[in-house]
Amino acid sequence: MFHAFDNVGPGKALHRADWIALLSRAPVDLLESVLAPHCAQPPQWLRAPETGLMMVQGRAGATGERFNLGEVTVTRCAIRIGETHSASALVGVAYVLGRSHRQARLAATADALLQNPAQQAHMDASLLAPVRQHLALQRTQRQARAQSTKVEFLTVARESGTPGEEEENE
Amino acid sequence: MKAHDLSALGAGFSSEAHGSQSVFRAALQALSHPGRCVDALHDAQVPSAGHPASAALLLAMLDADCTLWLSPMLARSDAALWLHFHTGCQLVDDLAQAQFVWVAAGDAMPELKVLPQGTEAYPDQSATCVVDVLTLQAHLQGQAGWCLRGPGIQGQAQLRVEGVPADFLAQWSANHARFPRGVDVFLAAQQQLVGLPRTTAIEPTGGQSACM
Repeated sequence: MFHAFDNVGPGKALHRADWIALLSRAPVDLLESVLAPHCAQPPQWLRAPETGLMMVQGRAGATGERFNLGEVTVTRCAIRIGETHSASALVGVAYVLGRSHRQARLAATADALLQNPAQQAHMDASLLAPVRQHLALQRTQRQARAQSTKVEFLTVARESGTPGEEEENE
Repeated sequence: MKAHDLSALGAGFSSEAHGSQSVFRAALQALSHPGRCVDALHDAQVPSAGHPASAALLLAMLDADCTLWLSPMLARSDAALWLHFHTGCQLVDDLAQAQFVWVAAGDAMPELKVLPQGTEAYPDQSATCVVDVLTLQAHLQGQAGWCLRGPGIQGQAQLRVEGVPADFLAQWSANHARFPRGVDVFLAAQQQLVGLPRTTAIEPTGGQSACM
C-alpha cells in the first residue's frame, strides 16, 4: 500500500513507474478536481476501460514463499492525448483498483500529461504533491489506529528459585 | 520490443465484442465456403505493415493463450506490438510452437509441413496460417487458376490467387492428404479473406474448359 518512493527528496528525478503507482492510489475526487478540464473532449481510446480480476500475491511477514492472497477487481485503460499519428501524441496507461471507469480514465490522462516535459512540473505540483500528502496522512492515521490497540504486557521479574532447586542444580 | 512505446499504436475494434464477432463471422463464412471471397468489415486502426483483413482476423481470433509466429517483415514492424498489446498473445520465433502464423506479402511462406499438424486424436491442435497475397479473384474468366472441391463447395469453385509460392499447390495436396491432420490456411487480400480448410482439394486449371 505504501512505498519508499512515495516521498521523493527534492531534486530527485520523477520516474514514470513511480507516478503511475501514485496515480493508481489517488482518490477520485483529487483526480477529478485537477483533470476535469482535460477530459472535455471525447476520448481517443487505445484500450477502452475494462474491469477484470487480478490475483494478488503476498508473502507472510514480507518474507518467505509467495502465496495467492486473493483476487481484486482492477480497471485498466489506455488513452491517447493529442493528434493521432503525430509526434506529440502521448499515450497514458492506468490500472486502478475497483470498477470506476472514470477513475481509470482520469489516471491515464494524468499519466499522459506527466510524460510531456512542458507539463510535468505543473502536474507534479498540482496533482502528485496532494496525492503524496493524502497517502502520508492515510499512513499516519493507519499507524495511529494500530498503535491504539498496542498492549503493554507487565512482566513481573521472577523471584529466584527455591533454595531446594538451587541445591539440586549444583 | 519496448513495451511502453505506445505512442504510434492504433486502437483495436471500437466495440471489442461486436467488432470481433463480425470478423469471426466472416472467418466462419470463409471456412464454410472455401474459395469464396469474404469481406472482413471492421473499424480497427490496423498497423501499416500487413493487410488490414489479416490484421483484423488475428485481432479477433487471438487471446493470451495463443502463440503467434510473424514473418520477418511483420516481426520488425508495428504489427507485432499492436497484436501483443491488444490480444496479449505470445510471439514465438519457433514455427513448431506457433498456433497462428502470419506471413506478409513478399515474405517467404514457411513450408506447411513444418507447422504443427495436430495429432490423430487432437487434429484441432494444428496451426492456422494467414497468408497475405496480392490479389484474390473468385472467377477465372478464362485465365489459369485453381479448381477447388470438397466440403462446403457445391460442385467446384474457382479461385485465382497471385502472390503464393510456386510450389503452393504441391504443398497443399500433401497437406490435404494428411487429413485429419494438417493446417488450415486463410489467404488475405487487402480487405478480403478466402478460407482453405484442410478438407479442400485444389487442382490447377488452365482455364474454364479444364474446370467444369
